[in-house]
Amino acid sequence: MVSQTMSSSPAITVSELNERAKAVLGSAVSVNDVWVSGEISNLTKHTSGHYYFTLKDKMSEIRCTLFRGARNTLQFEPAESLKVTAFGSVDVYVARGSYQFNVATMRRSGIGDMYTALEELKKKLKEEGLFDDSRKRALPRYPKVIGVVTSPTGAVIHDIIRVAGKRFPADILLAPVLVQGDGAAASIVRGIELMNTQDVDVMIVGRGGGSAEDLWAFNEEPVARAIATSRIPVISAVGHETDFTIADMVADVRAPTPSAAAETALPDIYGELRIVDHMAARAHGHITASVERMRNRFKVIDSKLSPKRAGERVNIEIKGVTELHRRASSSIRSLLNLKKGGFMLADAKLSPKRAGDAVGQYMLRTDDFSDTADASVRRMLAEKRARSDSADARLNAVSPMSVLERGYGFIRAPDGKALISVSQLTLGSDIEITMRDGTAKAKVNGVIKNE
Amino acid sequence: MNENVDEMTFEESLRKLEELVGMLEEGSLDLDKSLEIYENAVKLRDRCRKILEISERRVQKIMETSGGIQKEDI
Repeated sequence: MVSQTMSSSPAITVSELNERAKAVLGSAVSVNDVWVSGEISNLTKHTSGHYYFTLKDKMSEIRCTLFRGARNTLQFEPAESLKVTAFGSVDVYVARGSYQFNVATMRRSGIGDMYTALEELKKKLKEEGLFDDSRKRALPRYPKVIGVVTSPTGAVIHDIIRVAGKRFPADILLAPVLVQGDGAAASIVRGIELMNTQDVDVMIVGRGGGSAEDLWAFNEEPVARAIATSRIPVISAVGHETDFTIADMVADVRAPTPSAAAETALPDIYGELRIVDHMAARAHGHITASVERMRNRFKVIDSKLSPKRAGERVNIEIKGVTELHRRASSSIRSLLNLKKGGFMLADAKLSPKRAGDAVGQYMLRTDDFSDTADASVRRMLAEKRARSDSADARLNAVSPMSVLERGYGFIRAPDGKALISVSQLTLGSDIEITMRDGTAKAKVNGVIKNE
Repeated sequence: MNENVDEMTFEESLRKLEELVGMLEEGSLDLDKSLEIYENAVKLRDRCRKILEISERRVQKIMETSGGIQKEDI
């Protein structure tokens, strides 16, 4: 049968064979619109925008094409050794008689598994209370040193140094770590531990933006635990504002960007200047008021006058002046008498009339002297009164009334005598309590003396 | 608390300044004491301002070597 079929069938061309194979495979449901999983190798990125690679598993491999249009549907950049799941159909390349897999789209394998694991880890840490607000530590207001755990070559450290230069002055200590790829999580953990051996007030842990895979180390449990157990408060700054990793949830504060992290760690200089100046202004206001108040009190103390004593002083002065006047008058009179006598003796030749005239002249001069003395006494008295009045005015300025305004009272006996000691009181003593707006009359119903 | 104003940190200076302003505002001090406190408050304000005006930031990196943990300037 085989030989008969072979002999009776006319030969077809190679091209036709390949076309037939293409048609057969193209209509076979089992090799069209299927998901195939494997690992990428021999990736070639053609300048046309098409990618060619081999998809393989342990046993077998197939050439794959990823045309530009299909490539635009991908959420990731294909790379050597990546495990992927590709959706597409088998096709025959007629010119070569080879078949290949035309990829319509593909996904990274294991991503789903990663996200499932992430959600499980989140749930576990949440149940442990690692995300609780009550665990979040307050950041120091004025750090002297801020630690930064990040890549030494990334933009993060540069952004932080730049922003820190414009904020409250603090030194920066960098723990250089790997932030992506194999060993990144372990490196970040070591960086956090290292920082904890240093005299650092607050630390920023983070990296710049990237794909979900790039940020993955910050979703790993060891990093979360290192942040949670850090002695030093941690500010996380992972990726962009929309990225939210487990590290962000465990950190004491999550900053949306590295620059924001530096701003969070360090206060604004101008805000602090305002606080300092405001404080100094308050001190100045109070010292000015104190000096003014004290100056008034000093004036009064210096004058050594109470209103009562001022009155006494005036009376003493008046007595003194009166005495002076009396003595002045009497001495003038005796002088006058002496002169009168001398005159009479010395100039016996004088006529009684001329003697009388001379005496009259002296009398006039004596009176004149008295007038002058009176005027100076009056002036002295006026001055004393003026001083007494002004002392009164100053005393009013520091009067107990101004103290009463602040809620104090003062206590007097009904005769007006100030009571300053409980020893002046006995059970049943009448007292008057003067307050800001009036006087209360009271009876003492007990006396307790401080030991 | 460091008593030497020139060696105080910003936080120490600001705390002390707050404390002195509080004492002045309480108003129970005599003039000599008030003036002394005010002079100290001015010194503390100047210390705070001086710290805020520092423009240099020391930037170092920490590394683990065979000889232990080391720090060096970047």
